[in-house]
Amino acid sequence: MTREELVAYIGSHFEGKLTEMETGKFDPWFEVKAEDLVEVCQKLHDDENLKFDFLCDLAGNDTRERFEVSYKLVSLTLKHRLDLRVALDYEGAEIESVQHIWAGANWHEREVWELYGINIKNHDNLTRFLLHDEWDEGFPMRKDWDGKDFVRLPEI
Amino acid sequence: MALRTEEFQVNMGPHHPATHGVCRMVLTMDGEKVIKIEPVIGYLHRAIEKICENRTYPQCLPLMDRFEYVTSMATNQVFSMAAEKLAEIEVPERAEYLRVIMVELNRIASHLIFYGVTAMDLGAYTPFLYGLRERELILDLFEETCGQRLTYNYIRIGGVSKDILPGFDKKAHAALDTIEQKLEDYEGLLNENPIWLVRTKGVGVLPAEVAIQYGVSGPSLRASGVDYDIRRDDPYSVYHKFDWEVPTRQNGDTFDRYIQRLDEIRVSIKILRQAIDGLPEGDIKAKVKPKFKPKEGEVYNRIESARGEMGCHLVSDGTVKPVRVKLRGSSYNNLQAIPAFATNCMIADLVAIFATMDIILPECDR
Amino acid sequence: MIIAAGELYPIFEWAKELLTGLGLPEVWQHLIIYGALAAILFGTLSVFALFLVWWERKIAAHIQQRFGPMRVGWHGWYQTIMDAVKLLQKEDIRVAIRDKAVFFWAPVLCFVAAFLAYVVMPFGEGLIVADLNIGILYIMAVTTFTVIALLMAGWGSHNKYALLGGMRSAAQVVSYEVPMAVSLLAIVVFTGSLSMQDIVNSQSGYIWNWFIFKVPFGPIAFITYTIAAVAEANRVPFDIPEAESELVAGYNVEYSGMKFAMFFLAEFINLFTVSAIATTVFFGGWNGPLLPSWVWFLLKTFGIVLLMMLFRWTYPRLRVDQLMKFAWKFLVPVTFANLILAGIIKYYGWYW
Repeated sequence: MTREELVAYIGSHFEGKLTEMETGKFDPWFEVKAEDLVEVCQKLHDDENLKFDFLCDLAGNDTRERFEVSYKLVSLTLKHRLDLRVALDYEGAEIESVQHIWAGANWHEREVWELYGINIKNHDNLTRFLLHDEWDEGFPMRKDWDGKDFVRLPEI
Repeated sequence: MALRTEEFQVNMGPHHPATHGVCRMVLTMDGEKVIKIEPVIGYLHRAIEKICENRTYPQCLPLMDRFEYVTSMATNQVFSMAAEKLAEIEVPERAEYLRVIMVELNRIASHLIFYGVTAMDLGAYTPFLYGLRERELILDLFEETCGQRLTYNYIRIGGVSKDILPGFDKKAHAALDTIEQKLEDYEGLLNENPIWLVRTKGVGVLPAEVAIQYGVSGPSLRASGVDYDIRRDDPYSVYHKFDWEVPTRQNGDTFDRYIQRLDEIRVSIKILRQAIDGLPEGDIKAKVKPKFKPKEGEVYNRIESARGEMGCHLVSDGTVKPVRVKLRGSSYNNLQAIPAFATNCMIADLVAIFATMDIILPECDR
Repeated sequence: MIIAAGELYPIFEWAKELLTGLGLPEVWQHLIIYGALAAILFGTLSVFALFLVWWERKIAAHIQQRFGPMRVGWHGWYQTIMDAVKLLQKEDIRVAIRDKAVFFWAPVLCFVAAFLAYVVMPFGEGLIVADLNIGILYIMAVTTFTVIALLMAGWGSHNKYALLGGMRSAAQVVSYEVPMAVSLLAIVVFTGSLSMQDIVNSQSGYIWNWFIFKVPFGPIAFITYTIAAVAEANRVPFDIPEAESELVAGYNVEYSGMKFAMFFLAEFINLFTVSAIATTVFFGGWNGPLLPSWVWFLLKTFGIVLLMMLFRWTYPRLRVDQLMKFAWKFLVPVTFANLILAGIIKYYGWYW
């Protein structure tokens, strides 16, 4: 499907759960709410015309106002691409795991939990990953994290 | 009295000749069989993403080199392309051709290391030196162009940093001829060797569904029968101007992954010959302001590096520093898939599987 | 008393006269003579081992298109001596081990066991320490001591990797003893004698008297013997016990300094032993025109050592279960069939 067809198809089949974002001429980005995430992902994976069977990346982000978790999906057979974004508040940031849909999400979610502190529900192995085992100094990728020896360079 | 056997845990520790970097695998073994594999990574975590939030866009580029130092041309390219997409910069054609030439040369160098290291892990010590001998020809080309042998910082935002010197095409053609001829020697040394075949055929079969589920990409995916190559299916740069095919293989075992990468060296040589002959004149870099400020927005850019899909998710808010740089390395997903298909193999097979999945740890740990 | 005959006989006569002239009793004379022989043998073999280490490095380097040791003397000829000096001054690391005696005596046993086979090795015409009439049987018995030494090394190191390596190597050496012995038995059946000098003497005359040319059982016995010998010497393609990339040096991972040097030199002496046996049994021993007999022996032995070194730097290694399968399911039946064939040929006289 081309980009326009994809956007139109999603607009008609997902009852407003996905809102499109302005991204210019690149792959379409959609915003989805945290409660609808698993249902939407399951439908994106199973639907005959979409078949998003390949999860490229799952990234966390801390814009200075809120958390965001983004999912980048590709369909290997139908050759189209889509990106999803979930916005979360700082307090009580939680998200459901999608590892039962794409098994590769397991490590990505573990890393998001470890570096941002976003809780992942229904994950089977939420343990220390990239940081060393006795790490107790907080969640490093947050914008307000100040570890010792972390020097913010002056603004240019 | 019945004999009691016990499972024991062996640590294929961070210091190990066969784990290609500092990967630790905790193996639960029953005799020679490995029942459970648990990779433990993080020994090379340098917090590149956090540091990048504190640097301007051009200052991030040398850090990208270290993200995956074996194919650092590709890492530079993925970041530069993401920044160019956000800032809507048009890269001149000569620069695109030079980018393709450098990235494909780097791909060949990386696959030559793969060949040498895989053979060495399986006990044949000589192909390692043969592979490195050919790689020296490519590194000489890199050194004369950008001055560096491993971490190049050559592909910049807007183009490339330096033009190639006048005799480059002759030297490159000579190097490619040598490599193509020596590839036949390499295949003759190992491909029909019964010991090699009995060690690699049928060992570590990665089924296509498992590969897709775990996000395995690149030659490991194509060796399992899935025909997906980002250079063809999500075209970027000038790959659509060249005439080349994507090789695939059917079985997905260790032998197929090994042959797949040798085939990909041949494909790269074909692309390179066309690129070097068709190099147009022009600028090598677009005009980019010194204080590079892309538009506000986010983009995910993917390219096909030697190991698979390499991605850069770039979030910008219009200032000189990025808000978020997330790097997706293909070894991260490849390593995650190993426990799913390599359980119940012998420890010697695990070494072979690890070698042919071509895992490079800096990509996992960042 | 069995004393060497042939070229060294006048020297022994002179030594005996000297010692009798000094008024020593018979027992003391024999002790001194054999003591001197043992010292000469030990010295010569140690020099051979050092030479083999250097030679292996040069051959490996030239196969891999590089030079090897070049700085220490002309083309690095005394590199091994310098390495031995370095190993001597290394700290003898002793990890917290429970079985100190086993840990200590393993390298000693390995080193000693490597030398025991040279008592019956015919270095030349008359250059043999003791021509036992059970020569081949003695060699087969004595080369098995290495298994005990490897097991002791694996156990005493108190380390999972070392234990795995020791177990694997014991299994491998014991499995490949059978094809090795039975291949040699095919030749013994043909000669009718287990004595090494008899085997060499029955190959004298022309080059087609060598046992390797006694088709069809000669070449088969040689091929199976070489494969089994490479496995006995723990070399690629059978070097599982010391596979660097899998078990990080296997059974000698905890040894450092001079103890490691003993394992290392014992490996090269084992290599020389199996090559010397192959020369004696298949290639006519010290027989040859023009040059002195010991020169022929050395040339032929180093030729077979070169062959085994070329194996090491060309082939990948086999997995341990494939190795076992190959030994028990292929080599053992083939060697037994070969033995029967040799027996039939000898009985009916179908040879020249």
